[in-house]
Parts: sequence; C-alpha cells; structure tokens
Amino acid sequence: MTDPVILLQILWTGIAMSSYFVLFTVAFALTLKVEKLWNFAQAGLMGIAFYTMFYTLNAVHWPPWLGVGAAVVLTAAVSIAVEVWAIAVLRRRHSSGLIFFIFTLIFSQLVAFVLTLMFGTEPETIFPSVMSPVRIVGGVAMSDWDLQALGVTVVLLAVLYWLIRHTRDGQFMLAVADNDKLAEIYGISAKRAYLLSGIIAAVLICAGVYLYGTRAGVTPDVPIGLVLTAVIATLVGGLGRIFSAAIAAVGLALLQSFSILFIPAKWQALLLYFVLFFALVLFPRGIPVWRIRRAKPLAPIAVAQAGD
Amino acid sequence: MEYLANAGMLIGIYIILAASYNLIIGYGGLNTIAHPIFFALGAYTAALLGIGTTLPSVVCVLAGIGVAVVASVALAVTTLRIEGDYLLIASLGFQLGLLQLVNNFEFTGGPSGLSNIPVTITGPGRGWLYLLICAVLVVVVVWLIWRAMAGPFGRAVRAMRDDELACAALGRSLITMKIVIFAFGCGAAGLAGGLYAYYFQYISPEQFNVAQSATILTMVVLGGIGTTWGPLIGAFVLVALPQAITFMQLPSSLVGPLQGIIFTVLVILFLFVRPHGLVGRREAGVAH
Repeated sequence: MTDPVILLQILWTGIAMSSYFVLFTVAFALTLKVEKLWNFAQAGLMGIAFYTMFYTLNAVHWPPWLGVGAAVVLTAAVSIAVEVWAIAVLRRRHSSGLIFFIFTLIFSQLVAFVLTLMFGTEPETIFPSVMSPVRIVGGVAMSDWDLQALGVTVVLLAVLYWLIRHTRDGQFMLAVADNDKLAEIYGISAKRAYLLSGIIAAVLICAGVYLYGTRAGVTPDVPIGLVLTAVIATLVGGLGRIFSAAIAAVGLALLQSFSILFIPAKWQALLLYFVLFFALVLFPRGIPVWRIRRAKPLAPIAVAQAGD
Repeated sequence: MEYLANAGMLIGIYIILAASYNLIIGYGGLNTIAHPIFFALGAYTAALLGIGTTLPSVVCVLAGIGVAVVASVALAVTTLRIEGDYLLIASLGFQLGLLQLVNNFEFTGGPSGLSNIPVTITGPGRGWLYLLICAVLVVVVVWLIWRAMAGPFGRAVRAMRDDELACAALGRSLITMKIVIFAFGCGAAGLAGGLYAYYFQYISPEQFNVAQSATILTMVVLGGIGTTWGPLIGAFVLVALPQAITFMQLPSSLVGPLQGIIFTVLVILFLFVRPHGLVGRREAGVAH
C-alpha cells in the first residue's frame, strides 16, 4: 500500500505541473473554437515566446517583467501577422483543412529551424537555476514555483472567463464561434474576433512558456510536443468546450503523474498517445459530459391529478 | 559522385513515399498523416532481420512491407469510421504512439537507432547499383498506382472520395476499398523504408517524426494532390533544392537548419503562389 503522503505529493506536483498544460490547452482550444483552426502554429509562437524571454533576460539582462512583456508583445505581433497575412488569405480562398494543417505545421517548423540557427540545440532555461524555495505543508513539499504556477493559471483562467462571459468582445467571439456568417450579418466583425482570440492565445502561451521555461530546459523542437499535448486535452475535453479542455489537461497531467506508480517514467508519453488515439476512436466528439438538469415543471393536468 | 548517388536515392525513396501517400490522401481522400510510421516499420523490420538473421536482404525488405501492411490494416479497421480532421489527429496519435514504442524498446536501439545494418552490395559501384534498383522500384510503384487509378477501381476510389454516399449506393464496399488503398500505399512506404535502411545503414526514430509527415504531405500537395506526376515533381523539387546548399562549404551545424529553412520557405511560398500544386489544376475538385 502506498503511503498517503506520497499520493498527496504526487497529486500536488501533478496539479502544479498541469498549470502550463492548462494554459497551452486553453490557448489551443480557444483558437479551435473561435477560428475553427487546428493551429499548430502555436508551437512556433511558443518558441518565439521562450527565446525572447531567454535572450532578453540572459543576454541583454533586462528585468524579468520587461523580458516577459517583450515576449508577450512579440508573440502577439507574430500571431496577428500570421492571422492577417496567412490564415485570412487561406480562409478567403476556402482552403481545405489540409492546407491549414500544412501551413501551421510548416510555420512552426520554420520558426524551430530559425531558432536552431540562432540559439543551437542545447536545452536552455529562462533563469540560470530551476530550483525554487520549498516549504513542507502536512508532509507535502510545496515549492514557490508550484504556488506561482497555480496562481498565474487560476488568475488567467478567471480573467478569460470574465472576458468571454461579461464583455461584448467575448460574446462576439462566442457568436463568431457559433456561426461566423450569421454573426457578420448582425454587424459583428469576425476578423476582430479572430484577431482577439489570437492575441489572447498569445498571452496564455507566453504565461505557459514562462512557467515551463522556469522549470525545465527548452530546445527549439520542444514546443511541437507541447502543442500535441494540448491537442490531446482539447479532444478529450470535447471540441468547443474551452474550460472542459482545461479540466482534461489537469486530468491528463494527473494521469501521467500517478502513472509513475505503475509504469516506468519513459512510458508516460506513450500513455498520452494511447489516450489520444482511443479518445478519438471511441469519442470522436469528445468525452460526453452529463449535466445535472433541473426537473421540468409538471404539466397543469398532471399537477391537477397529483392534487386529487 | 557518391553524393549524387545519395541525393538520387533520397529522391527515389521520397518519390515512392509521396506517390503512395498520394494514393491514400489524394485519390482516396483519407486524411491520415501516419505515413512515416509505415516507412519506419519497413525500415526497422528489414534492419532488425538483416542484423539478427541470415535471411537474404530481399526477404527482409519483403517482411518490412508485410509488417507495414498488417499495421496499416490495423489502423484502417479501427479508425476509418471517423473522417476528416479527426482521422488526421487519430493517425497522428497512432504514429507518435508507435514511434514512442520504437524509442523506448532496447532491441530497436532506442533513441540512438540502429547503425550496424549489414552491407549487401559492396564495391565502388554500390551507390549507382542501389540507385538503379531504386529507379526500377519507383517506376514499378508509380506504374502500379497509375494503372490502378486509370481503371474501374480507380474511378470507384475517386467516386468514394467525392461522394461516399453515392458511391455506396452503387453497391461498392467503401471499407474494402479504403483498406485496399491504405494497405497498398502503406506497403509501398514499407518498401521505401527497407530501401532506406539497407542503403543508408542507419535509422533512428527521429527520422520518422511529425516533421517527416509534414514533408511527405507537402510534397504531395505542392506537386499536385490527386495527380500522377505531382508527387514525383514535388518530391524532386523539395529534396533537390535544399540539397543545393551542401555545395556552399558551410559548417555542418549550419547546414541542417539552413536546409530546413529553405524547405519551409519554399513550402510557404508555393502554398500561397501556387496553391493548386505544380502540376495540379484549379478545377481538380480539391479545395486549396
């Protein structure tokens, strides 16, 4: 029987580690929902975000807030450029999903090759050390990084929820996601919704990359693996359900974390691909979610009979 | 001269891959991107049999084709009820999962791959002899695909791609047709894998990753999807042009990324300048 403290430790570490998966997944799921686009170009954006932070903090020694800010600005600018000069053009041509897939994947590869040329293939981290102070709470080790990661993720998700539910732009994004042609008839700019979803995704990606890059080494080909994880979580969560995808990302991270009790660490990645494959084959529209529904009011006749 | 033979072999192998992939995605309309894993299965099976047994190389390559065909039927039976983007992503999961197995098993050499694949042809003319064999196989594969697609079976396959319901209403078994073209295309990828393993004598999992999927897919689309000559021209252009940089005497650490940049820039350029492919026609029925 495994010690409960060990189980709690795995649970805590799994939840903390899921933070960047959640951010990448939400970024991917948002773009998929609003733009109907499997945007593998987000791997390229991750690469740009990470190496901007790495360069500004380590080579030109900017303060962290400025380096992160520069990464957000550059990543958002590239996201806008890709949307305006590439995705919008393909959309106007009614290109097939295959062409979007090729473009977004090749764009990410182009970014990876350019970054390899500039920074090499050695793993780099945003700060020279990935260690952070640890405190023991009830026998469970909690690092400052864990708390920072959870805090950043919760705040960003709360802001995104508020943005989507309580602002006009957020509701316009939902309208475009439902039916872009109908939304445009009502005067909603689909172009603006696409750009906004791209910018939000860029911000989420920067936050996720910051968390990942302060915890583990990154090489130019790491981001494509991160996007694939986001794809898996998005599919398991169900297409068009951004926050369900986030929950799926947490679930997958926990599955990976707890799998070390049963299988060697090198097989953890395989677990994700099995989940992806079987989730698609068994639930091609995502794992169904059953909601608790309010009981329907009884029809007047039935109420009368019940009264008798 | 050895360099030219190497480049020629690469072009030949990619033509087989692109032509067979075109059969699946271009003619059959099955959006899968797992083609490199069948290439890998052919290569690894041939290499492992070559290393571990005394079987003739032809038998090892045939075994590689067999393993690729069996795996393709397994993928087809489980996934062909889903379609479009979902099939694309499921095939990606299948590819990455199997690649992870190859990466983790010790008998496949793990991430380092297999480097002690036996030499089957020796002497100064090795490269050219291999090139001749490869050229013959390219002609055979391309002719078989062309022949099949020019006949009644090909018309049925194209009808299935354009309208599955109408095709089924005519009494055609869609699943059988899908499995047949899938098995043939993936078997050809297994053949390309066997050739690759025996010629280059080194294989590793990273040669069969997602980037390889994008490469083969790009060759088909940029050449002209659903055409006979498109994948051939696409493979030739996208292998030959980045090779030009090797004549510039650059440090080896720069050659790889620069070739990658040339390749990806060419792809993006072609996607926007000639979206229907180099030999494809605008009215070919595929949205570009």
